[in-house]
Amino acid sequence: MALVSAEPWPENATLYQPLKEDQILLSDCASSLAVQAYLRMCGLPVQVVCRANAEYMSPSGKIPFIHVGNQVVSELGPIVQFTKAKGHSLSDGLDDVQRAEMKAYMELVNNMLLTAELFIQWCDDATAAEISRPRYSSPYSWPLNNILAYQKQWEVRRKMNAIGWGGKTLEQVYEDVSQCCQALSQRLGTQPYFFSKQPTELDALVFGHLFTIITTRLTSGELAERIKGFSNLLSFCRRIEQTYFEDKSSST
Amino acid sequence: SVTSLDSIPMHGRDLTVHPDDLMEPPEQVNDSKQEILENKDVVVQHVNIQGLGRTKEDLLGYEISDVFHSKNLIDVMRKAHIARQRLLRLGIFKQVEVLIDTSEGTDALPNGLDVTFEVTEVKRLTGSYNTMVGNNEGSMVLGLKLPNTFGRAEKLTFQFSYGTKETSYGLSFFKPQPGNFERNLTLNLYKVTGQFPWSSLKETDKGMSAELNFPLGVTNHTLKWEGVWRELGCLARSASFAVREESGHSLKSALSHTVSIDSRNSAIFPSRGALLQINQELAGYTGGDASFLKEDFELQVNRRLFWDSVLSASLWGGMLYPIGGQSSSIADRFYLGGPTSVRGFGMYSIGPQSEGDYLGGEAYWAGGLHLYTPLPFRPGRGGFGDLFRTHFFLNAGNLCNLNYGDGPQAHLQKLAECIRWSYGAGIVLRLGNIARLELNYCVPMGVQSGDRCTGTRAGHYNSKLL
Repeated sequence: MALVSAEPWPENATLYQPLKEDQILLSDCASSLAVQAYLRMCGLPVQVVCRANAEYMSPSGKIPFIHVGNQVVSELGPIVQFTKAKGHSLSDGLDDVQRAEMKAYMELVNNMLLTAELFIQWCDDATAAEISRPRYSSPYSWPLNNILAYQKQWEVRRKMNAIGWGGKTLEQVYEDVSQCCQALSQRLGTQPYFFSKQPTELDALVFGHLFTIITTRLTSGELAERIKGFSNLLSFCRRIEQTYFEDKSSST
Repeated sequence: SVTSLDSIPMHGRDLTVHPDDLMEPPEQVNDSKQEILENKDVVVQHVNIQGLGRTKEDLLGYEISDVFHSKNLIDVMRKAHIARQRLLRLGIFKQVEVLIDTSEGTDALPNGLDVTFEVTEVKRLTGSYNTMVGNNEGSMVLGLKLPNTFGRAEKLTFQFSYGTKETSYGLSFFKPQPGNFERNLTLNLYKVTGQFPWSSLKETDKGMSAELNFPLGVTNHTLKWEGVWRELGCLARSASFAVREESGHSLKSALSHTVSIDSRNSAIFPSRGALLQINQELAGYTGGDASFLKEDFELQVNRRLFWDSVLSASLWGGMLYPIGGQSSSIADRFYLGGPTSVRGFGMYSIGPQSEGDYLGGEAYWAGGLHLYTPLPFRPGRGGFGDLFRTHFFLNAGNLCNLNYGDGPQAHLQKLAECIRWSYGAGIVLRLGNIARLELNYCVPMGVQSGDRCTGTRAGHYNSKLL
């Protein structure tokens, strides 16, 4: 870790994600946006590059990952650690209690929101057939496209069964999302960010997921509607978009 | 190419030494007897085959029909010997005995002959277990073979190989054309996993292929279609980013054609004859993601010199031309270096590289000049000593990427600059008809920055099993 912190953040740091127009799915887009928001909040420049094989390039198999100098780091958690080692952190001002709280809410978002996104994408037959499988397989030719899409679907469904979500219905998942948003909305209250005036990695994570959900068209608009029901979360997303992403012309 | 397995033949070619290689042609009877026998007219009345079980008779008619055209006794013996060879090469008989006798029965002519082939069929199912050692790796190979599956010399083979670096299995079905054994069709289904530490790359191929072989004059042609699902990944966390960028899945659907002329008397230790093999592969026009045209050739000439020594010269080259603007995949490019091409350099460790990982190149050439002589003072002559040879060699080669926009002049120039070469001497041991073991002292030259040499630049000993 000592070697890593010695090098400053380079100009050519790059973030890799799947192809924006045709390939990327809701869950990956949300995770990628969360990391992008975090890096912008830290003031660290990063270039976003889209590759069809980003998922396979990633050392952990998860999107997004960043290429900084000689290092390759994937997923928000490890990236936060990585930037901390380089001397950039958003949560230094927090005390131990607040830090524990932040970790707990981040766990909530990962266990609820991210899992719900994966469930809707791959376990709902309509969404899987109309959106997820065609998008996931778009860079490949027949019959490889079908093989990879079904392989991914089986893998996600197996994981859902393992964590006990296998038997859930879409309605139950929407309810879970509502409850999660309820908890987040309550914690946020009327503050600009979750921990008063300064954003932390929790803000980046919540923004990434909520913003992506409300701006992505799925087979059903139900999920977006549930989130739009919480006005303070909506204005939270808008605030972060305007503060950190005002130079971006499109949202996803 | 990175995907071929040097050590495992997937085409069902039998590597055992055939007893016929050692067999002598029929004895020459002395002149006076020969005159009598040659002048005596004979007629072959019956040609029989005995001992058939599952083999279909229509298959064998073609192989033995020529015996009927014999005019005299010497002719009968010669043609029967040739027919026996033809029956054995089908790979369906363990043994073939020839019996020539005078005709018997009511329609027997005074100068009539009956020729009988007594055959012993091979077993329906054979299993095998082999250990193979190739370029720096070892593997255990289990095989199941069903020769003469449906009675017309078809062969169904299943092979499973578990090795230090790779695991693979394959199913293969071989069908020759009755009467034209050299024209045959092979269908393959396989899964192959390989690890390539020189590139920090691992590759899993799942594929199928259909291959048609046929002779045309002195040449032998192979037409093949292959569909492969390739998965590339980093071998270690420390792989270079250039290799990481190649990770993922791709589908290659390719048509290829190979023409070869081989007049050598042995594949491992030829002392005369030449080999010319030209191969081309076109991918992308029958589906798949990969799209390229690949050409490569091999030329080898051998000549016996004074004192039982052999001079051998060889030249290889190839070019990969990506089609449609996409860049080539690391799995399709050429690699150079090591005991099979340029000795003194690490295995496939010449040419374009990134952070120590060799990425291969789109064009290459390699050449070698070898002189094999018997051991000095010929120890163990006539016996064990004959398996050894002293070996003097000169290897050279180059591997690079070309800018296809430039003309052929620029390409030749690029291939001619930064040539790597090496020279040295050593001892070679011949292991049956299958392999050779070399122990060399080698001096690598023309080393470019990025290349990896085995041992020190000043020269080193190395041993290779090829």
